[in-house]
Amino acid sequence: MHKVEFEQLDETLYHEKLGNGLEVFILPKKGFSKTFATFTTKYGSIDNHFVPRGEKEAIKVPDGIAHFLEHKMFEKEEGDIFQQFSKQGASANAYTSFTRTAYLFSATGQINENIETLLDFVQEPYFTEQTVEKEKGIIAQEITMYDDQPDWRLYFGIIENMYKNHPVKIDIAGTVDSIQDITAEHLYTCYNTFYHPSNMVLFVVGAVDPEQMMKLVKENQDRKTFEDAQEIERIFPEEPLEVAIKERVLNMSVQKPKVFVGIKPEKMDLQGEEMLKHELAAELAFELLFGRTSDFYHHAYEKNWIDESYSFDYSLENGFGYAIIGSDTAEPETLAAEIKHTIANAVEKWPFGQADLDRMRRKKIGFFLRALNSPEYIANQFTRYTFNGMNLFDVVPTLEEIEVADLQAAFSLVSAESQQSVFTIQSPDKKEAQ
Amino acid sequence: MFETIRLAKGVNVHVNETTQFKTINISIKFKDKLSKEKASARSILANVLQHSNEAYPSHTALRMVLDDLYGTSLYMDSSKRGNEHIVSLNVETVNDQYLSEEGVLEKVLNLMYLVLFKPNTEHGLFKESIFLREKNAVKERIESIFDDKTRYAQQRMMDLALPEHPASIPANGSIEEVEKISNEKLMEEYRTMIEANEVEIYAVGDVKPELIADYVRDYFHFADREKPVAAPSMELEKPAQQRVAEFEDMKQGKLHMAFFSPVTFRDEKFPVMQLLNGVFGGYAHSKLFVNIREKESMAYYVSSSYSSQFGLMFVLAGIDGKLEEKAVKLILEQLEEVKKGNITDVEFGQTKALLTNQLTEALDSARGQIDIYDQYMELTEDFEPDYLISRWNKITKEDIADAAKQLSLEMTYFLSGKESEIDA
Repeated sequence: MHKVEFEQLDETLYHEKLGNGLEVFILPKKGFSKTFATFTTKYGSIDNHFVPRGEKEAIKVPDGIAHFLEHKMFEKEEGDIFQQFSKQGASANAYTSFTRTAYLFSATGQINENIETLLDFVQEPYFTEQTVEKEKGIIAQEITMYDDQPDWRLYFGIIENMYKNHPVKIDIAGTVDSIQDITAEHLYTCYNTFYHPSNMVLFVVGAVDPEQMMKLVKENQDRKTFEDAQEIERIFPEEPLEVAIKERVLNMSVQKPKVFVGIKPEKMDLQGEEMLKHELAAELAFELLFGRTSDFYHHAYEKNWIDESYSFDYSLENGFGYAIIGSDTAEPETLAAEIKHTIANAVEKWPFGQADLDRMRRKKIGFFLRALNSPEYIANQFTRYTFNGMNLFDVVPTLEEIEVADLQAAFSLVSAESQQSVFTIQSPDKKEAQ
Repeated sequence: MFETIRLAKGVNVHVNETTQFKTINISIKFKDKLSKEKASARSILANVLQHSNEAYPSHTALRMVLDDLYGTSLYMDSSKRGNEHIVSLNVETVNDQYLSEEGVLEKVLNLMYLVLFKPNTEHGLFKESIFLREKNAVKERIESIFDDKTRYAQQRMMDLALPEHPASIPANGSIEEVEKISNEKLMEEYRTMIEANEVEIYAVGDVKPELIADYVRDYFHFADREKPVAAPSMELEKPAQQRVAEFEDMKQGKLHMAFFSPVTFRDEKFPVMQLLNGVFGGYAHSKLFVNIREKESMAYYVSSSYSSQFGLMFVLAGIDGKLEEKAVKLILEQLEEVKKGNITDVEFGQTKALLTNQLTEALDSARGQIDIYDQYMELTEDFEPDYLISRWNKITKEDIADAAKQLSLEMTYFLSGKESEIDA
């Protein structure tokens, strides 16, 4: 077991890669009563075209299958696994993103039993045609619920605008129609391909003894047999740099129109240190340009173009990414134009210097230290970083190295006009929207 | 958990000195009697005060100084509990032990002082442009509930079931009342808040209780004040209608049910209601989840919640627009089971285990500690998890069945798409 101390942060991380390929991380938190654990596979909604384990030909699977599989992991021949966690006083849950499926629990007691339950239920699939059929009604209601949420539609709408071919443009849960095609056999195919331990990370954080916990995990894994680790072959379509749709409006009953401007990054194949540096630098640049101390924010707020729903975000994964800026607004066209204008101005003449960078860097360091109070943040983010070849605890040292030129360089990759798109939601009856 | 220092009548400092967190959290809570007018005015006030102040006269200037203080978060919010309306100033700042800089906490306390005592004024009123802008922001925040159909349906049901009752007054007030608030009225509310409200000050982190108490005593000068007079009775009156269906442009049907219970937070039997809620619909092992979601595949979410301040139990479900009747029938069947005492040992044990876990876990966050302590202060001086855990452990299944028998269904509200209207 490796032990890495982060003195500045007063944290110690324990790590071991087991014989079957599973990466195990343990972070004890002093003074905490609870333990939070995530067991995550590097498999999300975008992995819909791949060569199944043991086969030669690539296949395409129905939209929404990773999420469907996540739901079905909880059902076993002997019953629902939520019941088992409840008995052991643990709150369990799971989520599926574009790139990951995570199973998790938090508990203040019976940690060993709960860790065993977590490992066992995710490593013992049980799918039948009957249980798969039954789940379709539940997931259809989940999809319908999201369909009624304008903010969710706005988020997916702008991603759909930006991407022409990449599966990130497909809703994570699929559609009510697409999930009808899912069969138990599909689920086994996906499971066998993506749930091998070598494609997974276990992260345990909280009130744990690292030595004892690692021993428990190892013994659990040693009792099971797995096939050899294999490279997973995933197929992604060619994605042009320019956005698929420049502008689009969705009519939906809303109190006030909503608009997002999305920007597609130029480089989407970054990993490791390079990715970390770019990601942090781009975040700092967007914070300076669109954050709450920016000229843009001040101006837009005074003019009533934005309200409390205003947000901006930069997100990058292997193969896709996006910057998104927007708000509920009575003037979606003006706001979108103003955002684009702000970007164009910064491209033409970079407005920020050392003092701006220093201030944002301090803000970011503070945010990071605050986030380290949260076991949930640590486990989820650490796993995301690991899957992208980065280390969460490198954030502060990397921030400290960043220079003004890095901000400008990162921003220049996420700013060209051809990479920008606008998505608006407004009521069909415009009077209602005012 | 917290050490309490009384600064004046109705003004207390509570500090939990701990190294569990890398940050220091401070909350100052101003408590007043809840009314629609108060809630509306105080929500605008929270916005105006956090916008800027005399020393940092623009939003940008204030936010820049917070960025410089290692991204210290500072915000005000407006909430309610029972008959009380609460305005809080919340701050979280990094413990400077992790930084290369010292004296961050003093600077943050000074900022809190400026936010509360040196507002951005002109001619004895709040700066007019800020007042108008923030008044509008609160109005728009209330309007935006419409876009979240679950919250909207719940608010509609409360308005219909218990109009004018504190249970249905939103923490942000109402659009009509917000529109009525003048700058003069807001200034009056501000003075009342600072001079007459009950004030509870909380701090959690690696900080000495005396340090916080001394600072507040030396700079904030809170004088003695009376606790707000006990509010008039909160008797729940029977709603005029028992069932209401409304329609909006949407796909899913939102089923909301309200039950009355004679048991409230101040009642001896309050912990029984927590268990009843857990067994009935509070968790993924509960009767509603297992039967309506897992067995019938009718819903993605179906759950119950207990609003202890008023003695209200709610059931919420997202279902197909055509299945209201069936869902109501199934939900009531499950309640019938609880009333009959048909609760398995497993359901009973799981519920106690999860309630205990939830409570202990909540105390692993500074905000959780403050919220829970503030809520239970009324019942016990030094809240510890065992206060509730020991009570849960004494409860029997019969107690739960008896509490269930006292529930009465008073309102069924169904919000669904216009297509269901045509079909109906």
